[in-house]
Amino acid sequence: MERSASRGRRRRYSIGVALDWFFFVFAGLASIWLAYLGFTETFRVGWWGIPFGILFWVVLAYLLLPRLHRILTTIYVPDYFIGRTRTSDGLLGDPVNLAFRGAADEIETALSASGWRRADPVTLGSSWRIITSTLTRRSYDEAPVSPLFLFGRQQDFAYQQEVDGNPAQRHHVRFWKCPDGWLLPGGTRVDWLAAGTFDTAVGLSLFTLQVTHRIDADTDIERDHIVGSLVAAEPAIRIDVIKDFSSGYHARNGGGDSIRTDGDLPIVDVSFVPAGVSAAPAASADPAGIAPGGAS
Amino acid sequence: MTRPTKRAAFESPVDLVRPVGYDPDMPRPAAISAGAALVMLRVLAGFLWLMALAFNWDVIANDVEIALGDVKLTDGAKTVGLAAILIVGGTATLAEGVLAVLIYRGMNWARVIVMVYAVASISAAFTTWWVGGQDIRIDTTLLTLSLDILVLLALSSRQAAAYAHRRHLP
Repeated sequence: MERSASRGRRRRYSIGVALDWFFFVFAGLASIWLAYLGFTETFRVGWWGIPFGILFWVVLAYLLLPRLHRILTTIYVPDYFIGRTRTSDGLLGDPVNLAFRGAADEIETALSASGWRRADPVTLGSSWRIITSTLTRRSYDEAPVSPLFLFGRQQDFAYQQEVDGNPAQRHHVRFWKCPDGWLLPGGTRVDWLAAGTFDTAVGLSLFTLQVTHRIDADTDIERDHIVGSLVAAEPAIRIDVIKDFSSGYHARNGGGDSIRTDGDLPIVDVSFVPAGVSAAPAASADPAGIAPGGAS
Repeated sequence: MTRPTKRAAFESPVDLVRPVGYDPDMPRPAAISAGAALVMLRVLAGFLWLMALAFNWDVIANDVEIALGDVKLTDGAKTVGLAAILIVGGTATLAEGVLAVLIYRGMNWARVIVMVYAVASISAAFTTWWVGGQDIRIDTTLLTLSLDILVLLALSSRQAAAYAHRRHLP
Protein backbone atom coordinates (compact mmCIF):
# COMPACT_ATOMS: atom_id res chain seq x y z
CA MET A 1 0.00 0.00 0.00
CA GLU A 2 2.74 2.38 1.07
CA ARG A 3 4.75 1.36 -1.94
CA SER A 4 1.96 2.16 -4.40
CA ALA A 5 1.38 5.50 -2.70
CA SER A 6 5.01 6.51 -3.14
CA ARG A 7 4.81 5.38 -6.71
CA GLY A 8 1.86 7.69 -7.32
CA ARG A 9 3.92 10.68 -6.19
CA ARG A 10 6.83 9.78 -8.41
CA ARG A 11 7.51 12.43 -11.03
CA ARG A 12 6.29 11.43 -14.47
CA TYR A 13 8.65 13.72 -16.36
CA SER A 14 12.10 15.19 -15.93
CA ILE A 15 13.34 18.55 -17.23
CA GLY A 16 16.84 17.07 -17.46
CA VAL A 17 15.66 14.31 -19.78
CA ALA A 18 13.78 16.83 -21.95
CA LEU A 19 16.97 18.90 -22.18
CA ASP A 20 18.89 15.75 -23.12
CA TRP A 21 16.44 15.16 -25.99
CA PHE A 22 17.12 18.68 -27.27
CA PHE A 23 20.88 18.05 -27.29
CA PHE A 24 20.32 14.59 -28.79
CA VAL A 25 18.36 15.97 -31.77
CA PHE A 26 20.60 19.03 -32.16
CA ALA A 27 23.67 16.80 -32.32
CA GLY A 28 21.92 14.70 -34.99
CA LEU A 29 21.26 17.79 -37.12
CA ALA A 30 24.81 19.09 -36.55
CA SER A 31 26.24 15.75 -37.69
CA ILE A 32 24.26 16.02 -40.95
CA TRP A 33 26.07 19.32 -41.54
CA LEU A 34 29.42 17.78 -40.57
CA ALA A 35 28.84 14.91 -43.02
CA TYR A 36 28.00 17.43 -45.76
CA LEU A 37 31.12 19.51 -45.04
CA GLY A 38 33.25 16.36 -44.99
CA PHE A 39 31.74 15.20 -48.28
CA THR A 40 32.40 18.48 -50.13
CA GLU A 41 35.89 18.68 -48.62
CA THR A 42 36.61 15.19 -49.99
CA PHE A 43 36.42 16.51 -53.56
CA ARG A 44 38.42 19.66 -52.85
CA VAL A 45 41.63 18.19 -51.50
CA GLY A 46 42.72 15.86 -54.33
CA TRP A 47 44.45 12.67 -53.23
CA TRP A 48 43.88 13.59 -49.61
CA GLY A 49 40.25 12.90 -50.50
CA ILE A 50 40.77 9.18 -49.91
CA PRO A 51 41.38 9.38 -46.13
CA PHE A 52 38.72 12.10 -46.05
CA GLY A 53 36.28 9.77 -47.79
CA ILE A 54 36.94 7.07 -45.19
CA LEU A 55 36.43 9.65 -42.43
CA PHE A 56 33.17 10.71 -44.09
CA TRP A 57 31.99 7.07 -44.11
CA VAL A 58 32.86 6.65 -40.41
CA VAL A 59 30.92 9.80 -39.50
CA LEU A 60 27.98 8.75 -41.66
CA ALA A 61 27.74 5.08 -40.64
CA TYR A 62 28.74 5.23 -37.00
CA LEU A 63 27.58 8.67 -35.84
CA LEU A 64 24.99 10.20 -38.16
CA LEU A 65 22.81 7.27 -39.29
CA PRO A 66 22.56 5.68 -35.80
CA ARG A 67 21.48 9.05 -34.38
CA LEU A 68 18.85 9.57 -37.10
CA HIS A 69 17.61 5.97 -36.75
CA ARG A 70 17.37 6.44 -32.98
CA ILE A 71 15.29 9.61 -33.35
CA LEU A 72 12.99 8.18 -36.04
CA THR A 73 12.48 4.74 -34.46
CA THR A 74 11.58 6.39 -31.16
CA ILE A 75 8.70 7.92 -33.07
CA TYR A 76 7.48 5.00 -35.16
CA VAL A 77 8.57 1.65 -33.69
CA PRO A 78 6.19 0.44 -30.96
CA ASP A 79 7.80 -0.04 -27.57
CA TYR A 80 5.66 -3.02 -26.48
CA PHE A 81 6.37 -6.68 -27.26
CA ILE A 82 5.95 -7.45 -30.97
CA GLY A 83 8.08 -10.59 -31.11
CA ARG A 84 11.15 -8.73 -32.33
CA THR A 85 14.22 -7.47 -30.55
CA ARG A 86 15.59 -3.99 -31.28
CA THR A 87 19.14 -2.94 -32.06
CA SER A 88 20.88 -0.21 -30.08
CA ASP A 89 19.74 2.23 -32.81
CA GLY A 90 16.12 1.20 -32.18
CA LEU A 91 15.79 -0.70 -35.48
CA LEU A 92 14.02 -4.06 -35.51
CA GLY A 93 16.58 -6.78 -34.80
CA ASP A 94 16.57 -10.58 -34.65
CA PRO A 95 13.18 -12.26 -34.11
CA VAL A 96 12.35 -13.67 -30.67
CA ASN A 97 12.07 -17.37 -31.50
CA LEU A 98 12.51 -19.24 -28.20
CA ALA A 99 11.02 -19.13 -24.73
CA PHE A 100 12.39 -20.75 -21.57
CA ARG A 101 11.01 -21.77 -18.19
CA GLY A 102 13.45 -22.10 -15.32
CA ALA A 103 16.09 -20.14 -13.44
CA ALA A 104 19.10 -18.48 -15.06
CA ASP A 105 21.60 -20.99 -13.64
CA GLU A 106 19.45 -23.91 -14.83
CA ILE A 107 19.44 -22.51 -18.38
CA GLU A 108 23.18 -21.83 -18.25
CA THR A 109 23.91 -25.33 -16.94
CA ALA A 110 21.83 -26.90 -19.71
CA LEU A 111 23.54 -24.77 -22.36
CA SER A 112 27.10 -25.44 -21.22
CA ALA A 113 26.24 -29.13 -20.99
CA SER A 114 25.27 -29.11 -24.67
CA GLY A 115 28.41 -27.48 -25.99
CA TRP A 116 27.50 -23.76 -25.81
CA ARG A 117 29.91 -21.14 -24.48
CA ARG A 118 28.91 -17.96 -22.68
CA ALA A 119 29.80 -14.85 -24.71
CA ASP A 120 32.18 -12.30 -23.17
CA PRO A 121 30.75 -8.83 -22.49
CA VAL A 122 31.53 -6.19 -25.12
CA THR A 123 34.63 -4.31 -23.98
CA LEU A 124 37.49 -2.64 -25.83
CA GLY A 125 39.65 -5.73 -25.25
CA SER A 126 37.07 -8.29 -26.38
CA SER A 127 36.10 -6.17 -29.42
CA TRP A 128 39.73 -5.93 -30.46
CA ARG A 129 40.15 -9.68 -29.97
CA ILE A 130 37.14 -10.53 -32.17
CA ILE A 131 38.50 -8.30 -34.95
CA THR A 132 42.00 -9.81 -34.87
CA SER A 133 40.77 -13.38 -34.53
CA THR A 134 38.34 -12.92 -37.46
CA LEU A 135 41.08 -11.47 -39.68
CA THR A 136 43.67 -14.09 -38.72
CA ARG A 137 41.03 -16.87 -38.61
CA ARG A 138 41.95 -17.83 -35.07
CA SER A 139 39.47 -19.38 -32.68
CA TYR A 140 37.65 -17.21 -30.11
CA ASP A 141 34.82 -19.31 -28.82
CA GLU A 142 33.68 -16.78 -26.21
CA ALA A 143 33.51 -13.88 -28.66
CA PRO A 144 31.14 -11.09 -27.56
CA VAL A 145 27.79 -10.59 -29.28
CA SER A 146 26.37 -7.18 -30.11
CA PRO A 147 23.70 -5.84 -27.75
CA LEU A 148 20.06 -6.30 -28.73
CA PHE A 149 17.19 -4.91 -26.71
CA LEU A 150 13.91 -6.40 -25.47
CA PHE A 151 11.66 -4.93 -22.76
CA GLY A 152 13.92 -1.86 -23.11
CA ARG A 153 16.88 -3.83 -21.75
CA GLN A 154 20.04 -5.29 -23.24
CA GLN A 155 20.24 -9.10 -23.19
CA ASP A 156 21.00 -10.58 -19.76
CA PHE A 157 23.44 -13.08 -21.22
CA ALA A 158 24.27 -14.74 -24.53
CA TYR A 159 25.65 -18.11 -25.55
CA GLN A 160 27.36 -19.16 -28.72
CA GLN A 161 29.00 -21.98 -30.63
CA GLU A 162 31.84 -21.18 -32.97
CA VAL A 163 31.99 -22.94 -36.34
CA ASP A 164 35.33 -24.07 -37.83
CA GLY A 165 37.36 -22.18 -35.22
CA ASN A 166 36.67 -18.74 -36.70
CA PRO A 167 34.41 -16.15 -35.08
CA ALA A 168 33.06 -15.04 -38.47
CA GLN A 169 30.59 -17.92 -38.44
CA ARG A 170 28.77 -18.90 -35.28
CA HIS A 171 25.56 -20.03 -33.69
CA HIS A 172 24.39 -17.61 -31.06
CA VAL A 173 21.41 -17.03 -28.79
CA ARG A 174 20.60 -14.09 -26.52
CA PHE A 175 18.43 -14.26 -23.38
CA TRP A 176 16.15 -11.75 -21.67
CA LYS A 177 14.39 -12.24 -18.34
CA CYS A 178 10.70 -11.44 -18.68
CA PRO A 179 9.37 -8.76 -16.31
CA ASP A 180 7.56 -10.12 -13.23
CA GLY A 181 4.03 -11.24 -14.01
CA TRP A 182 4.51 -10.72 -17.73
CA LEU A 183 2.59 -13.06 -20.05
CA LEU A 184 3.17 -13.81 -23.72
CA PRO A 185 0.49 -12.53 -26.08
CA GLY A 186 -2.15 -15.24 -25.69
CA GLY A 187 -1.57 -15.59 -21.95
CA THR A 188 1.22 -18.18 -21.67
CA ARG A 189 3.63 -17.62 -18.79
CA VAL A 190 7.34 -17.99 -19.52
CA ASP A 191 10.39 -16.86 -17.54
CA TRP A 192 12.80 -16.05 -20.34
CA LEU A 193 12.66 -15.09 -23.98
CA ALA A 194 15.52 -15.78 -26.37
CA ALA A 195 16.54 -14.88 -29.91
CA GLY A 196 18.78 -17.33 -31.75
CA THR A 197 20.33 -16.68 -35.15
CA PHE A 198 23.24 -18.04 -37.15
CA ASP A 199 26.00 -15.62 -38.19
CA THR A 200 27.10 -16.57 -41.70
CA ALA A 201 29.85 -14.04 -42.41
CA VAL A 202 31.16 -10.59 -41.58
CA GLY A 203 30.02 -8.04 -44.14
CA LEU A 204 28.85 -4.52 -44.82
CA SER A 205 25.25 -3.85 -43.90
CA LEU A 206 23.32 -2.05 -46.63
CA PHE A 207 20.97 -0.46 -44.09
CA THR A 208 23.39 1.00 -41.60
CA LEU A 209 26.57 0.96 -43.78
CA GLN A 210 28.35 -0.58 -40.77
CA VAL A 211 30.56 -3.65 -40.76
CA THR A 212 28.54 -6.35 -39.04
CA HIS A 213 27.70 -10.05 -38.95
CA ARG A 214 25.25 -11.18 -41.65
CA ILE A 215 22.73 -13.72 -40.36
CA ASP A 216 21.26 -16.76 -42.07
CA ALA A 217 17.81 -15.94 -43.39
CA ASP A 218 16.20 -19.19 -42.23
CA THR A 219 16.07 -18.49 -38.49
CA ASP A 220 13.98 -21.64 -37.93
CA ILE A 221 17.03 -23.83 -38.61
CA GLU A 222 18.95 -22.08 -35.84
CA ARG A 223 15.97 -22.24 -33.48
CA ASP A 224 15.63 -26.00 -34.03
CA HIS A 225 19.40 -26.44 -33.69
CA ILE A 226 19.37 -24.79 -30.24
CA VAL A 227 16.42 -26.89 -29.07
CA GLY A 228 17.92 -30.05 -30.61
CA SER A 229 21.32 -29.58 -28.98
CA LEU A 230 19.71 -29.00 -25.56
CA VAL A 231 17.51 -32.08 -25.77
CA ALA A 232 20.36 -34.23 -27.08
CA ALA A 233 22.49 -33.41 -24.03
CA GLU A 234 19.69 -33.59 -21.45
CA PRO A 235 16.64 -35.69 -22.36
CA ALA A 236 14.80 -34.52 -19.22
CA ILE A 237 14.25 -31.11 -20.85
CA ARG A 238 10.61 -30.68 -21.86
CA ILE A 239 9.61 -28.87 -25.03
CA ASP A 240 6.18 -27.36 -25.66
CA VAL A 241 5.62 -25.62 -28.95
CA ILE A 242 3.17 -22.78 -29.49
CA LYS A 243 2.23 -23.36 -33.11
CA ASP A 244 1.94 -20.23 -35.27
CA PHE A 245 2.81 -17.96 -32.33
CA SER A 246 3.62 -15.28 -34.87
CA SER A 247 2.16 -15.92 -38.28
CA GLY A 248 4.86 -17.01 -40.69
CA TYR A 249 6.56 -14.00 -42.16
CA HIS A 250 9.40 -12.61 -44.20
CA ALA A 251 11.11 -9.53 -42.88
CA ARG A 252 14.46 -7.88 -42.51
CA ASN A 253 16.47 -7.31 -39.37
CA GLY A 254 18.23 -4.11 -38.36
CA GLY A 255 21.25 -4.95 -40.51
CA GLY A 256 19.13 -5.37 -43.63
CA ASP A 257 19.41 -9.18 -43.70
CA SER A 258 16.24 -10.94 -44.71
CA ILE A 259 14.71 -13.35 -42.22
CA ARG A 260 11.88 -15.84 -42.57
CA THR A 261 10.16 -18.09 -40.08
CA ASP A 262 7.16 -20.40 -39.82
CA GLY A 263 6.18 -18.55 -36.63
CA ASP A 264 6.35 -21.46 -34.15
CA LEU A 265 7.64 -20.67 -30.65
CA PRO A 266 9.16 -23.60 -28.71
CA ILE A 267 9.00 -23.28 -24.92
CA VAL A 268 12.00 -25.04 -23.38
CA ASP A 269 11.38 -26.13 -19.78
CA VAL A 270 14.68 -26.66 -17.98
CA SER A 271 13.24 -26.43 -14.47
CA PHE A 272 13.14 -30.24 -14.13
CA VAL A 273 16.82 -30.58 -14.89
CA PRO A 274 18.81 -31.29 -11.72
CA ALA A 275 21.26 -28.36 -11.78
CA GLY A 276 24.94 -29.26 -11.83
CA VAL A 277 24.40 -33.05 -12.01
CA SER A 278 24.30 -33.56 -15.75
CA ALA A 279 26.78 -30.81 -16.59
CA ALA A 280 30.05 -32.57 -15.86
CA PRO A 281 29.82 -35.72 -18.03
CA ALA A 282 27.97 -34.12 -20.93
CA ALA A 283 30.36 -31.16 -21.16
CA SER A 284 33.12 -33.53 -22.17
CA ALA A 285 30.97 -34.96 -24.98
CA ASP A 286 32.43 -34.88 -28.47
CA PRO A 287 32.22 -31.24 -29.64
CA ALA A 288 32.51 -32.43 -33.23
CA GLY A 289 28.83 -33.31 -33.00
CA ILE A 290 28.13 -29.61 -33.26
CA ALA A 291 28.92 -29.06 -36.89
CA PRO A 292 27.68 -26.34 -39.25
CA GLY A 293 24.31 -27.35 -40.54
CA GLY A 294 24.10 -29.90 -37.77
CA ALA A 295 20.70 -28.52 -36.88
CA SER A 296 18.05 -31.12 -36.26
CA MET B 1 -16.34 -1.94 -8.82
CA THR B 2 -14.02 0.12 -10.94
CA ARG B 3 -14.67 0.40 -14.61
CA PRO B 4 -11.74 -0.65 -16.79
CA THR B 5 -10.32 2.41 -18.48
CA LYS B 6 -9.59 2.27 -22.16
CA ARG B 7 -5.96 2.67 -23.13
CA ALA B 8 -5.13 5.76 -25.16
CA ALA B 9 -4.78 5.10 -28.89
CA PHE B 10 -1.48 7.00 -28.99
CA GLU B 11 1.63 6.86 -26.88
CA SER B 12 1.88 9.89 -24.65
CA PRO B 13 4.82 12.18 -25.42
CA VAL B 14 5.32 12.45 -21.64
CA ASP B 15 6.68 8.88 -21.79
CA LEU B 16 9.63 10.22 -23.76
CA VAL B 17 10.75 12.45 -20.89
CA ARG B 18 10.22 9.93 -18.11
CA PRO B 19 13.11 10.03 -15.62
CA VAL B 20 15.74 7.45 -16.44
CA GLY B 21 16.54 4.54 -14.15
CA TYR B 22 18.52 4.86 -10.93
CA ASP B 23 21.69 2.79 -11.36
CA PRO B 24 24.61 4.08 -9.23
CA ASP B 25 26.83 1.08 -10.07
CA MET B 26 26.63 1.62 -13.83
CA PRO B 27 30.06 1.12 -15.43
CA ARG B 28 31.43 4.15 -17.28
CA PRO B 29 30.29 3.95 -20.93
CA ALA B 30 32.67 4.54 -23.82
CA ALA B 31 30.69 7.67 -24.81
CA ILE B 32 31.65 9.41 -21.54
CA SER B 33 35.35 8.53 -21.88
CA ALA B 34 35.35 9.58 -25.54
CA GLY B 35 33.49 12.82 -24.74
CA ALA B 36 35.92 13.73 -21.93
CA ALA B 37 38.90 12.92 -24.19
CA LEU B 38 37.47 15.13 -26.97
CA VAL B 39 36.96 18.02 -24.53
CA MET B 40 40.61 17.55 -23.48
CA LEU B 41 41.60 17.77 -27.16
CA ARG B 42 39.74 21.07 -27.34
CA VAL B 43 41.66 22.26 -24.27
CA LEU B 44 44.91 21.32 -25.99
CA ALA B 45 43.82 23.14 -29.15
CA GLY B 46 42.94 26.18 -27.04
CA PHE B 47 46.42 26.33 -25.47
CA LEU B 48 48.07 25.89 -28.89
CA TRP B 49 45.95 28.76 -30.20
CA LEU B 50 46.96 30.99 -27.26
CA MET B 51 50.64 30.14 -27.81
CA ALA B 52 50.39 30.92 -31.51
CA LEU B 53 48.74 34.24 -30.60
CA ALA B 54 51.53 35.15 -28.16
CA PHE B 55 54.29 34.33 -30.67
CA ASN B 56 52.65 36.35 -33.49
CA TRP B 57 51.49 39.16 -31.27
CA ASP B 58 53.41 41.93 -33.07
CA VAL B 59 51.86 41.08 -36.43
CA ILE B 60 48.38 40.82 -34.93
CA ALA B 61 48.79 44.12 -33.06
CA ASN B 62 49.77 45.82 -36.33
CA ASP B 63 46.61 44.44 -37.96
CA VAL B 64 44.58 45.81 -35.08
CA GLU B 65 46.19 49.24 -35.48
CA ILE B 66 45.30 49.28 -39.19
CA ALA B 67 41.78 48.08 -38.45
CA LEU B 68 41.32 50.88 -35.93
CA GLY B 69 42.31 53.46 -38.55
CA ASP B 70 46.08 53.77 -38.06
CA VAL B 71 45.90 54.42 -34.32
CA LYS B 72 49.37 53.91 -32.84
CA LEU B 73 49.28 51.63 -29.78
CA THR B 74 52.03 52.09 -27.22
CA ASP B 75 54.20 49.10 -26.30
CA GLY B 76 52.66 49.13 -22.85
CA ALA B 77 49.14 48.93 -24.25
CA LYS B 78 50.18 46.01 -26.48
CA THR B 79 51.61 44.09 -23.53
CA VAL B 80 48.56 44.75 -21.39
CA GLY B 81 46.30 43.63 -24.24
CA LEU B 82 48.24 40.41 -24.72
CA ALA B 83 48.27 39.71 -20.98
CA ALA B 84 44.52 40.29 -20.75
CA ILE B 85 43.80 37.91 -23.64
CA LEU B 86 46.17 35.26 -22.25
CA ILE B 87 44.68 35.48 -18.75
CA VAL B 88 41.05 35.36 -19.89
CA GLY B 89 41.69 32.71 -22.55
CA GLY B 90 43.91 30.64 -20.27
CA THR B 91 41.36 30.70 -17.45
CA ALA B 92 38.54 29.67 -19.79
CA THR B 93 40.65 26.87 -21.25
CA LEU B 94 41.69 25.66 -17.80
CA ALA B 95 38.04 25.71 -16.69
CA GLU B 96 37.17 23.57 -19.71
CA GLY B 97 39.88 21.11 -18.64
CA VAL B 98 38.32 20.91 -15.17
CA LEU B 99 34.91 20.30 -16.81
CA ALA B 100 36.42 17.44 -18.81
CA VAL B 101 37.56 15.77 -15.59
CA LEU B 102 34.12 16.31 -14.00
CA ILE B 103 32.41 14.84 -17.08
CA TYR B 104 34.67 11.82 -16.81
CA ARG B 105 33.55 11.42 -13.19
CA GLY B 106 29.91 11.62 -14.29
CA MET B 107 28.80 15.10 -13.19
CA ASN B 108 25.66 16.00 -15.10
CA TRP B 109 25.95 19.81 -14.79
CA ALA B 110 29.47 19.76 -16.26
CA ARG B 111 28.15 17.75 -19.20
CA VAL B 112 25.27 20.20 -19.71
CA ILE B 113 27.58 23.28 -19.57
CA VAL B 114 29.92 21.81 -22.20
CA MET B 115 26.96 20.86 -24.40
CA VAL B 116 25.43 24.35 -24.14
CA TYR B 117 28.82 25.81 -25.13
CA ALA B 118 29.08 23.37 -28.07
CA VAL B 119 25.54 24.23 -29.26
CA ALA B 120 26.37 27.97 -29.13
CA SER B 121 29.65 27.55 -30.98
CA ILE B 122 28.13 25.25 -33.66
CA SER B 123 25.20 27.66 -34.15
CA ALA B 124 27.58 30.60 -34.55
CA ALA B 125 29.68 28.71 -37.11
CA PHE B 126 26.56 27.62 -38.97
CA THR B 127 25.23 31.18 -39.11
CA THR B 128 28.45 32.64 -40.55
CA TRP B 129 28.59 29.75 -43.05
CA TRP B 130 24.95 29.95 -44.15
CA VAL B 131 24.46 33.73 -44.06
CA GLY B 132 28.01 35.04 -44.48
CA GLY B 133 29.14 32.34 -46.88
CA GLN B 134 32.33 31.78 -44.89
CA ASP B 135 34.34 28.79 -46.10
CA ILE B 136 34.74 26.01 -43.56
CA ARG B 137 37.80 24.06 -44.62
CA ILE B 138 40.27 21.71 -43.06
CA ASP B 139 42.86 24.53 -42.97
CA THR B 140 40.43 26.98 -41.36
CA THR B 141 37.73 26.04 -38.86
CA LEU B 142 36.68 22.52 -39.88
CA LEU B 143 38.86 20.90 -37.20
CA THR B 144 37.49 22.86 -34.23
CA LEU B 145 33.95 22.62 -35.62
CA SER B 146 34.16 18.85 -35.97
CA LEU B 147 35.58 18.62 -32.44
CA ASP B 148 32.55 20.58 -31.19
CA ILE B 149 30.10 18.34 -33.07
CA LEU B 150 31.85 15.16 -31.92
CA VAL B 151 31.81 16.39 -28.30
CA LEU B 152 28.09 17.09 -28.59
CA LEU B 153 27.39 13.70 -30.23
CA ALA B 154 29.31 11.80 -27.54
CA LEU B 155 27.94 13.68 -24.54
CA SER B 156 24.32 13.72 -25.75
CA SER B 157 24.22 9.97 -26.42
CA ARG B 158 21.81 7.89 -24.38
CA GLN B 159 24.62 5.99 -22.64
CA ALA B 160 26.33 9.23 -21.60
CA ALA B 161 23.03 10.68 -20.36
CA ALA B 162 22.20 7.52 -18.40
CA TYR B 163 25.64 7.62 -16.77
CA ALA B 164 25.31 11.28 -15.82
CA HIS B 165 21.83 10.63 -14.34
CA ARG B 166 22.80 7.36 -12.66
CA ARG B 167 22.48 8.73 -9.10
CA HIS B 168 19.29 10.73 -9.72
CA LEU B 169 16.31 9.11 -8.03
CA PRO B 170 13.30 9.04 -10.35
